[in-house]
Amino acid sequence: MSAVASSARATPAIGWRDVALAVAPLVLALVVAAIVLAVAGHNPLEVYWLLLKESFGGVKRIAATVSASTPLILTGLATAVAFRSGVFNVGVEGCVLVGGLAAAFVGFTYVGLPATLLLPLALGAAALAGTLWMLVPAVLKARLDVDEVVTTLMLNFIAVSLTAWLVNGPLLAPGSANSATPMVVEAARLPRLMPPSTLNAGFLIAIALLGLYWLWGRGTALGLETRLAGLNPRFAIASGINVPMLIIKMMLLSGAIGGLAGGIQALGTVNRFVVGFSPGYGFTGIAVALLGRGSAIGILLAALLFGALATSGATIQLFSDVPIEIVNILQGTVMIFAVARFGWLLKNRQGGK
Amino acid sequence: MSMAEFTPDTTIRLGAHSVTRRFGALVANDGITFRARRGTIHAIVGGNGAGKSTLMRILQGMDRPDEGVVLVNGMPSVFFGPADAFKQGIGMVHQEFMLVPGLTLLENLVLAQEPLDGLRRIDRRKALEAARKLEREAGVTLDWDMPVDDAPVHVRQIVEILRLLYRGADVLILDEPTAVLAPAQVQELIVLLRKLRSEGRTILFISHKLDEVMALADEITVIRSGKVIGGMATANTTKAALAEMMIGEILSRPNARPSTVGRTVLEIRGLAATDARRVLRLKELDLDVRAGEIVGIAGVAGNGQDELIAAVTGLGRVERGAVRLDGQDVTKLSLRARRELGLSYLSPDRAAEGLCLSAPISENLIAGRHRSPALCKGGVLQKGAIKRHVETLLDRFSVKRASAALPISSLSGGNQQRVAMARELDGSPKLLLACQPTRGVDIRGIAFIHQCLLDYREAGGAVLVISEELDELIALSDRIVVLYDGRVTGEVPRGSAKVEELGRMMLGETRQEIAA
Amino acid sequence: MIDNIIHAAFVMTTPILLAALGGLVNRVAGLVNIGLDSMMLAGALVGLMIASQTGSWPAALVAAALVGGLLGLLMSLTVTRLQANEIIVGLGFNIAVAGLVRFFLKSWYGTSGTLSLPDVAMLPRIHIPVVADIPVLGAIFSDHDPLTWAAWLLVPATAWFLARTRLGLRLRAAGAAPQATRALGLNPLNLRDASTVFAGMMSGLAGAYLCIGVVGIFNEGITAGRGFLALAAFYFGRNRPWPTAIGALLFGLFDAIQIRLQGRGLPAELVQTLPYVMVIVILTLVAITIKRARNKGA
Repeated sequence: MSAVASSARATPAIGWRDVALAVAPLVLALVVAAIVLAVAGHNPLEVYWLLLKESFGGVKRIAATVSASTPLILTGLATAVAFRSGVFNVGVEGCVLVGGLAAAFVGFTYVGLPATLLLPLALGAAALAGTLWMLVPAVLKARLDVDEVVTTLMLNFIAVSLTAWLVNGPLLAPGSANSATPMVVEAARLPRLMPPSTLNAGFLIAIALLGLYWLWGRGTALGLETRLAGLNPRFAIASGINVPMLIIKMMLLSGAIGGLAGGIQALGTVNRFVVGFSPGYGFTGIAVALLGRGSAIGILLAALLFGALATSGATIQLFSDVPIEIVNILQGTVMIFAVARFGWLLKNRQGGK
Repeated sequence: MSMAEFTPDTTIRLGAHSVTRRFGALVANDGITFRARRGTIHAIVGGNGAGKSTLMRILQGMDRPDEGVVLVNGMPSVFFGPADAFKQGIGMVHQEFMLVPGLTLLENLVLAQEPLDGLRRIDRRKALEAARKLEREAGVTLDWDMPVDDAPVHVRQIVEILRLLYRGADVLILDEPTAVLAPAQVQELIVLLRKLRSEGRTILFISHKLDEVMALADEITVIRSGKVIGGMATANTTKAALAEMMIGEILSRPNARPSTVGRTVLEIRGLAATDARRVLRLKELDLDVRAGEIVGIAGVAGNGQDELIAAVTGLGRVERGAVRLDGQDVTKLSLRARRELGLSYLSPDRAAEGLCLSAPISENLIAGRHRSPALCKGGVLQKGAIKRHVETLLDRFSVKRASAALPISSLSGGNQQRVAMARELDGSPKLLLACQPTRGVDIRGIAFIHQCLLDYREAGGAVLVISEELDELIALSDRIVVLYDGRVTGEVPRGSAKVEELGRMMLGETRQEIAA
Repeated sequence: MIDNIIHAAFVMTTPILLAALGGLVNRVAGLVNIGLDSMMLAGALVGLMIASQTGSWPAALVAAALVGGLLGLLMSLTVTRLQANEIIVGLGFNIAVAGLVRFFLKSWYGTSGTLSLPDVAMLPRIHIPVVADIPVLGAIFSDHDPLTWAAWLLVPATAWFLARTRLGLRLRAAGAAPQATRALGLNPLNLRDASTVFAGMMSGLAGAYLCIGVVGIFNEGITAGRGFLALAAFYFGRNRPWPTAIGALLFGLFDAIQIRLQGRGLPAELVQTLPYVMVIVILTLVAITIKRARNKGA
């Protein structure tokens, strides 16, 4: 968390050292995964080359990668927004689920509306659902200092079960037995940018939000307040910033973006809500935010990386016998290495208290 | 330095030889040498930031000197951790007590050296026996099954001392042991320490309270700015002489021109306030600060200053009484609201509260003022205006910097404080609450900050200065108000304040009593 | 029917309870272990493999505990030595280990998700003659396996261990005040590592229980988030062994009921949310109590 917040400041120059530090978690994770691959009898370099080819070799593959990275940009962004204010929100996953279901619900219920109305309405519903989902942990954190890690983590499981119940019962598609809502109408679907690829207008929304996030972090009063509150809450309070209110705002914003991630996935790619809708977009978002060190460009790159892994992982199974799970191994180890500190190994002694 | 310089000498129980410890540019300990003799009480005396705590940490193995050695029984010793010091019989009672919450007093007593029975269980009976024996030795009685969290402060302190004895320490290092105690409890502590001395133990205690030092210590070492200023037997010195050594010459004599005193800006009536542990620290306080004057608050740490700061800023709880800012009752308002009404607050803790060390200089300079119309339009920060504003302020306060975009931690302590000062004086506040305004600031920085405060006063500003530096208060204040035990013991106008007299008032005597 | 549910509740409680006791000790020593689920999963797989290979359930349990403990050690070292955030590391372990397990299944056994092995030595059931025929009591006490008995015996043992033994005292100290513990010459990081290894071993056992105590085959979803239920249990019990056990039993009961509700038109999924809702409610109530106490004064 502090890694995200502290590197979020505007540094005048980025040196090689910063770049090395930024890619170190990825490199270490690649080494670990290479060992796993080698033990399993694969040539790691060949596998990595294959992954690279399958994710960026050609326009179609790139489109697939970008499409897969769309929800990750948003969940990474949602996580980063909360982290930056010093709040450890690990509940974006739940927001994705409730947001996805809300968008799908609007998309198959208000079938009479025109696209210009229905699409914003459905996306708005997704963002609203995500916002409301974060309301309880936000208020508990800001007013009663209840540990947000636990509450948001618990809410993820509640979201899984709650949405599963809804799509198995009240919202189950008629005549369907497979825990899914009806398909959303055409008017509620996000336009595809490069058919037949699933790449859709959701990516543009994600990029736009990323741009706003960049501007917000650099140039707005709220962005400044958030950063200061995340870096040193006592200082922020002493400077007259209303930190509890800020925490509520940022958690709700984080929820809204998380909900939107689900909504865009529902309206752009899946076209409905099904059980198992999210393969852990919210958790991958944490890895994205950490690896991207909370910066807009970092989040984009990290999301593309994980998007690439997801798409290429799915296809390399077809061309080789390397299991797709190598992607999960990479993702988990990136997360671990992104928060580990190696600096003290080099320093023999720390000065001061 | 060769070992030949040292000879084993069991009468020198603990000491330091040319100990130097640096933190970056700051030299906390600069060639400190002293020797504490076995069976005596040795006081290390010095003002805030003199380097006492660093020295204690080194003596106890929590830190290591860059140069020089710790002496045990006259011979150099190297401690790689507190455990090494313990092995030599050296233990420390910390200012912030090192007891483990959630454990009982008995558990704390035996922790890390638990008596075991045959089944490797903790033998409660043996532990309690040991506790009772220590009780008798110390002449106290305690409820050993009480959780630490419920124990009052002086009980915790006694447990810490007994724990050291339990673990076989015969050198006790006490860091400001009376800072947290009420006067009656101080007496108890003094009795206890004398008893321990009579049993042949060596006690090293750090303090800046001269009365206690005079009453308790056999020998005294005075340090200032990391250097030893003098060492002597208590019998051969006086409180006044110690005070002079501690404070040194008053370095900064800013030019305080007369100024016109205007309306009352801060008005405090019948104020009572508690600390975080809900102990009543501020009992009854009336205080006025008017436009065009500097009022200084003097007092030994822990006599209500922190609670006064909390009450003026709104960061703490007020039990009774009222705080009015420029005629308006702000007792229940947040700091944010008070800032809007014209309060400025220079925090005593620059690193933790006064600045955001990892944020750029520019952001530290505008934080809190970043929403003012000149700097921010419709929630969007005006980059150009901010840059101009920042550069102007930094130039006006002569802050040496490579770039305002660098983290403020890249500045020296003095320059950091200039930034904090610049921010708090920006936007013409009505009242400036300046707490420890020159703590950890170099001499030139001190002079500059003092001049800033005086200029602001001349321009009609009201300043409340809370400082542990008496010379600073004397130099700055139009009136010095002395706090003792949560009450005002007296008020001294500019020109008539003497260190010795203030020192006695800080220990609870009124001006009339001193005059008598 | 009632007897059935009671018995099933105890069966479902055992893995939660085992992992919760481990996580409890871990948290008392100062580390919130989000990675219990990963250690459970690894324990389940290894337990099954060894049970099949050796035909001995004790050997399977030992192996499961070892692999769980090893993961715990790795996780702990990342947190204590590389100063990594424990929450992120825990989540990372869950993701990476789940991936590793599936990777392993595909690479070694060529199966995806489910592994069924021959000659698996299942945990024996201990039948208590007379008691077994008494309603309710029989369901509570009879026909349980050794691990269930061990889990429940560990509840008072853990309470006693933390309260009365030297290591227990030191673990509590390391968790509550690492600085003070260090000042006394103890190493709080080592103590914390030890507690995480213990948590890993307990979770490994919990995983093995699912495999060779209940199902007999391995499935990638076999833990079904029980590591998080364990987390919920010791948050619910606020680090005290008995309340934690009651929490675990309650969650086990929900689990047992929930299985029976399936296909009866009753919302089984909503019952699944109950443990998590309860934790949030408990945390809220505790926070309100603390705030009240603070406002009222000493």
